[in-house]
Amino acid sequence: MAASSAVVAILASIWLCSSIAADASGSSSETTMHTNNWAVLVCTSRFWFNYRHMANTLSLYRTVKRLGIPDERIILMLADDMACNSRNKYPAQVFNNENHWLNLYGDNVEVDYRGYEVTVENFLRVLTGRHESAVPRSKRLLSDEGSHILLYMTGHGGDEFLKFQDSEELQSHDLADAVKQMKEKHRFKELLIMVDTCQAATLFNQLHSPGVLAIASSMKGENSYSHHLDSDVGVSVVDRFTFYTLAFFERLNMYDNASLSRLFNSYDPNLLMSNAYYRTDLYQRNLQEVPVTNFFGSVMETVHTDSAYRAFPQKNTPRETRIRTGKTAEDDSRRSILTDMTKAECPFTRIVSSLESKMETVGNLDSLVNYGLVMILPVLVVSVWLST
Amino acid sequence: MAEVEKKEVAAATPPWKPKPRPIVRLGIVLISHSLLVSVVCCTAGVVALFLLPMLAKNTYISENALMPGSASSMLSNDDISEAERLAKDLTSLNSGAADAGIERRRVLAKYLSDLGVEVGYHKFEPHQNQFHPLHFFSSPDSGLSRENGSCSSYGINVVGIIRAPQADGKEAIVLVTPFNFRKNSSSEALSISIGYAVFSLLSRVTWLAKDIIWLVADSQYGEYASVASWLRDYHIPVFSASSSDNADSCFEGNNINLLREESLDQTEISSGFRRAGTMAAALVLKVTDVKGQLEDTLSVYAEASNGQMPNLDLINVVNYLAVHRQGLRVKVEKFISVLRWEWIWVLGDTLNFIGKVAGSLNPEWKFGISTPDYVEGTATLANLLYRQALGIPTGPHGAFRDFQVDAITLEISPKVVYTNQGRRNEFILRSARLIEGVVRSVNNLLEKFHQSFFLYLLTSPAKFVSVGVYMIGFALLVAPLPLVAASLYVDANKPDPSSQGPKHKLQINFKPWKWLSAAKQVFTVHAWGVFVSLLPYFISQIPNSTPAAHSIIWFSLSTFGLLVLYLITKSPFKPQKGEWENLKSVTISVVFIGLLLMSVVNFATAQIGALVLVPACLLAQPLKLDIRDASLKSFLRIACNVFISFVAFPPVGFFVLKGVNEGSGNMDVGEFWTWLESLWAWNSATYIYIGMVHLPCWVLCLHILLHSC
Repeated sequence: MAASSAVVAILASIWLCSSIAADASGSSSETTMHTNNWAVLVCTSRFWFNYRHMANTLSLYRTVKRLGIPDERIILMLADDMACNSRNKYPAQVFNNENHWLNLYGDNVEVDYRGYEVTVENFLRVLTGRHESAVPRSKRLLSDEGSHILLYMTGHGGDEFLKFQDSEELQSHDLADAVKQMKEKHRFKELLIMVDTCQAATLFNQLHSPGVLAIASSMKGENSYSHHLDSDVGVSVVDRFTFYTLAFFERLNMYDNASLSRLFNSYDPNLLMSNAYYRTDLYQRNLQEVPVTNFFGSVMETVHTDSAYRAFPQKNTPRETRIRTGKTAEDDSRRSILTDMTKAECPFTRIVSSLESKMETVGNLDSLVNYGLVMILPVLVVSVWLST
Repeated sequence: MAEVEKKEVAAATPPWKPKPRPIVRLGIVLISHSLLVSVVCCTAGVVALFLLPMLAKNTYISENALMPGSASSMLSNDDISEAERLAKDLTSLNSGAADAGIERRRVLAKYLSDLGVEVGYHKFEPHQNQFHPLHFFSSPDSGLSRENGSCSSYGINVVGIIRAPQADGKEAIVLVTPFNFRKNSSSEALSISIGYAVFSLLSRVTWLAKDIIWLVADSQYGEYASVASWLRDYHIPVFSASSSDNADSCFEGNNINLLREESLDQTEISSGFRRAGTMAAALVLKVTDVKGQLEDTLSVYAEASNGQMPNLDLINVVNYLAVHRQGLRVKVEKFISVLRWEWIWVLGDTLNFIGKVAGSLNPEWKFGISTPDYVEGTATLANLLYRQALGIPTGPHGAFRDFQVDAITLEISPKVVYTNQGRRNEFILRSARLIEGVVRSVNNLLEKFHQSFFLYLLTSPAKFVSVGVYMIGFALLVAPLPLVAASLYVDANKPDPSSQGPKHKLQINFKPWKWLSAAKQVFTVHAWGVFVSLLPYFISQIPNSTPAAHSIIWFSLSTFGLLVLYLITKSPFKPQKGEWENLKSVTISVVFIGLLLMSVVNFATAQIGALVLVPACLLAQPLKLDIRDASLKSFLRIACNVFISFVAFPPVGFFVLKGVNEGSGNMDVGEFWTWLESLWAWNSATYIYIGMVHLPCWVLCLHILLHSC
């Protein structure tokens, strides 16, 4: 997806230099299309008794993968010392429920930052994209100004800080600074930060960058509690906030249109035993109109161009904006979104199609070329005369 | 810059003396009111000691990793029936037979190797703890046990080791069940049952992160000796070939070889010493029959040598699991006699009342405590202080503490002796589940126990007083000592107002000399104290004599030594003015230093010692002066002095305590000797304290009382 959009941008700048290029690159993120989705999932604690944090992160990893974000766009940071911990009664398996129906640690878990690599430094490097040259692409957050990024963090936190593996702290200032850098570097269009720690809301205190939406499991002075204990494994396996988040997503599939406000309203303080907090003042869109899949799933719009590998577009190639809705796309609400999306075309498509329609009106292409050649002769004469 | 300022100030205000700093002024004020300060501080110190049960906090599990009780028990009835089969096989063997011990060991080893765990025998020669003056505070010595070459008596421990299936084998948890292979004891068989049930379960589970060692300690020579010698061999391997040859030759012809060969026929029982990783914790499991209990009870013993305690978290885990999971009643030992003291109950009532009044004034003040709780707490605290002060371990767990391993003894006593198999199985199930829970909890540990307290006093299994609280009472008690010493010194060396002029100079010159002479006296008496503490080593070499005879020899030799010293060092001059004040001042300073040092080594000893020595030292004043004074105050002082110096004499103090505790029955002079012998046999620092701090100071106080000024 990123590659195709890049190619489109290059072609646009070659063909139609001035006006379109200015329109595309000079625009702010509000006008940029949402073209891709990324997820950064961080578990900041280690040790056996923090089993639930790893289970939280792996559950969310599974959910976003199920909803369509591919592994290559998920940066997973885990201490990863549970599955093969000698205390684990079920070797190489991690569960987030005592019913053990779902092994989160299957054979398709790609952990990008593991063990002692999960540090504040690496975390900030991933966000801001300032890596050493040797860091492989798979460990980088290669997002652009069309990206929606989900940043999920869990672990032990406090007032305006988050502990990293009992040895470091990430402060709210650090997070805000990293987000600001990301904004400056056009690394995201919209960013959803979701934090499940004690006093998680305090971590957002310093955020100022537009386009950031933040949700926390607990307010200042509150604890985030674990949901239940697996007496077979002997540890708590999931936190309440994450548990109810997952419960919400389990009812959804890739094509659902549940809005973010529905997710946010699904948190019941009595069940959480803390108050979920969300910060929307930096976020422009109305939460009721934003589907959760904008962050937790992958982008649904595909710009199809066969022109990528040809010098000239073929005459009768239809350039359509196809929306992959579900097989059952009958209901009205879905239709309305569909029409909204077709209206919002990208500028390049617009210009190409207007050119094309003009060419249609001309009718005979050969005669147009002949007239053109004849028109060139006077121009040539005049220019020769001027140069002598 | 500062110097310039100082100079300027000095230049500006030449007529006035520079004002001393506030701390110096405070010191001067305290010293000049030392009598008031010492009365207030000592009273506060004693009151603080009696307030400790009230200040006790509820215990809590400090280490996150422990997570006790979060896993459900996996122990099944199959484990128990198997364990009961083992117990039956062990008890059914004819106890009269000479080789019953060997047969039992073989049965046990067979069962263990059937579980698929590593089994090994550990043979050891029990050696009597012997007094050696240089062995105090030294590490356990491996060479000690190997010196005596008698091959006649030895014990054999059976050791089973489960290797943790997914771990690196760097750590281990130790279970110990003392078992006398020669005798048939139903309660010991019960403890083997419990141990085996847990062990067989642990040999199957997948969640072990630490190896499990089960030591069935041969208790025919005492529980402590077998565990201690196994630990010594575990930690201090012997590499020299000669000693192993010696040991082999020693056992040649003995039935140990027979035993080993026969065992080898059936299973692979290693002849070498088996080891696992460093020990994270150890649990000693015992079952005792105590008559007249209302429910199944678990007694926790934690005191190791010199009053060292295991980490509080270990006790917390056991207490939590026993109370909240298995419904056992947990108790720690207490002085029963304290419960009978009327005045403690009155004190408890008073404190209860004060707490209620305070609570009605401000509901946030919640320091009330019910009277029975207070009395129980005091009895427990008194027992704990006594046990710590003795410095003798209360069980085989003490041997682990010498290697910095946290260990406790769990003594489980059933309500009745179970005859019904179902009830018996249920008892085993509960006890085994408790052990399993503790093992699983300790298994979760990532590091050594370190999160909770090592320095604490328990007032009940679930309440403790931390070091920061109990040190206050002690600090208050000893705080007056330096003040009084300073004040006495100042008083003694004050220039005589009547003798001014040229004499004044002379007196100033004599000041250091007077102080030095007092110091010399104190030093001499302390040297005598060292001599007295070393005497028992030589006396105990005398063959064929009773403890009473030992005591008498010791007493007479000490007195003789003191007399000789007194005659040698007796000053030929008339007693100088202020001599006894100087002497008292130096004595008090030495007591202060001694108590402080002791409080670091063994707090309980220092606390009890301070309760006796501080009033004795502070009150000491020549009887002659008081008699000359002949007022009510001086008579009171005489009475106090005589009483305290009588009680503070160690043998008298011992018998008084014994009388209070057990009632005045038969008092044998030899008992004191036996008591002291046990102190030095266990390398207790209390022995050193009595010999080198308490006794000399008592003599010095007596010297001051009888001073001829």
